[in-house]
Amino acid sequence: MEIEAIKTGLRDYIVTQFSIPAGDVDFNDEVHLFDYGYIDSFGAVHLLNFVQTKFGINVGQADLIAYPMNSIGEIATFVSLRQQGQV
Amino acid sequence: MPHLVVKLPNTAGEYLAQVRYALPFVSEDLVAYEIRESDGEVRVEFRDGADMQEMKTRVDRLLERYSTNEFGLKTKVNFEQKRDLPPIDAWAGMLERKWATPVGEGHAILRGPAAQLMALIDHKVLSVFASEFQAELEIFPSTIRSETLQRCNHFTSFPEHMDFVAHLKPDLDVLKDFSTACRDEGWAPRHHDGRMSVNDFAISPSCCYHAYEGMEGWDLEKPGRSITAILGCHRYEGSNHKYLSRLRAFTMREVIWVGQPPFVINSRARSEALIEQWARDWELSCTLEAANDMFFTDDFSVKASFQRQQEAKRELRMDIPSEGGSLSVFSSNFHSTTFGKAFGITVGGRPATSGCVGWGCERWVYALLSQFGFDPAQWPAGLREEYREFTSAGFPRKAATAAV
Repeated sequence: MEIEAIKTGLRDYIVTQFSIPAGDVDFNDEVHLFDYGYIDSFGAVHLLNFVQTKFGINVGQADLIAYPMNSIGEIATFVSLRQQGQV
Repeated sequence: MPHLVVKLPNTAGEYLAQVRYALPFVSEDLVAYEIRESDGEVRVEFRDGADMQEMKTRVDRLLERYSTNEFGLKTKVNFEQKRDLPPIDAWAGMLERKWATPVGEGHAILRGPAAQLMALIDHKVLSVFASEFQAELEIFPSTIRSETLQRCNHFTSFPEHMDFVAHLKPDLDVLKDFSTACRDEGWAPRHHDGRMSVNDFAISPSCCYHAYEGMEGWDLEKPGRSITAILGCHRYEGSNHKYLSRLRAFTMREVIWVGQPPFVINSRARSEALIEQWARDWELSCTLEAANDMFFTDDFSVKASFQRQQEAKRELRMDIPSEGGSLSVFSSNFHSTTFGKAFGITVGGRPATSGCVGWGCERWVYALLSQFGFDPAQWPAGLREEYREFTSAGFPRKAATAAV
């Protein structure tokens, strides 16, 4: 899957699931989702389930520690690499 | 005595630590357990009459819950200062000197230099941290609405902790019967049966929850607020209670930030720099490292990993030479918008983020005495001088003289 398509899927899910208002000036593909309060630890559980189901990959605890997954861009990069078997 | 011997699915240190913590909560019928690392098994003893098939199911379920965790992940250490210190049994020494008296499971009275040390810790937090952040003092009640804890998601992460508060039913007959039973037979737990009112409060398991419920619906001025408070908290820990390192009733001082993300994140970072300086000044043998809570629920694994990945929790752990381990005495936490959203706190129209740093006051006393002993003259110069200055200032001196 193209990385832009992955980003779009993630963006749509996060905006809907976490009620991000249209026109939020801080929200973009590079913003730190946790530091800026878009997602908390409970939201992370939902996001992780979504990523695994939607993109058909497995994300282990070691992955959460080893790879930066703080922004839409970082998560999309990981998903893309995992789908290609590169991580 | 009926018992089970169960194979451990994992023998990694972190796994065993989680299992050790959680096993006492398997059942009220559990009497004792022993983890035999070399054999890779755990022996669990139960009361006579326990349903052993049910107990086996429960033990297996608990061992399975944590076995899905990928243990052995490297701990990120932000600061480390190690000293070669002799083992000192701080609790035994405090009892011997009458600096402490146990008053029930996980409850202790401190006096003399132990009480003074604890007062010094709090004084230092106020003078260094609270002043740095111009934190506003708030005074909290010791109990908290169960409804508030529900909104803080406490029950879905740490249900085992709770010490609920209840009172006798406001009913003339109930009050008379209870009083009569206590007079005639002495107080006993059975006298409460059927006579307690509906639970609505709990003893607060943490200091900062009141801060958030107190600001419900507020729209804060940018960049946010700094608050400090101290509270006697309760956490029930089953047979894990240990003087003074794991008390049921303990004291927590916190500095709390609620506001815009950079304000909270930078304040937290600054506080960690200050605690590192404190560790240097007092020559503590310790580490500041990423940590996770002992979530007691089936989604433990994801929550704990996420907390570690985000470094949402860091702890200052002081070495306890007599135990060959370390003890968390300070934690630094970032909550994102969990509480801002739960209580409708906004800043500039957006949900506020929050963070806090907390000191377990009795643990500091225990760790300091474990590292440096009971004679202030032998303490590191920085600690010794601050203690001397603090105790000569007036208020705590009389107690010190009486106890030494």
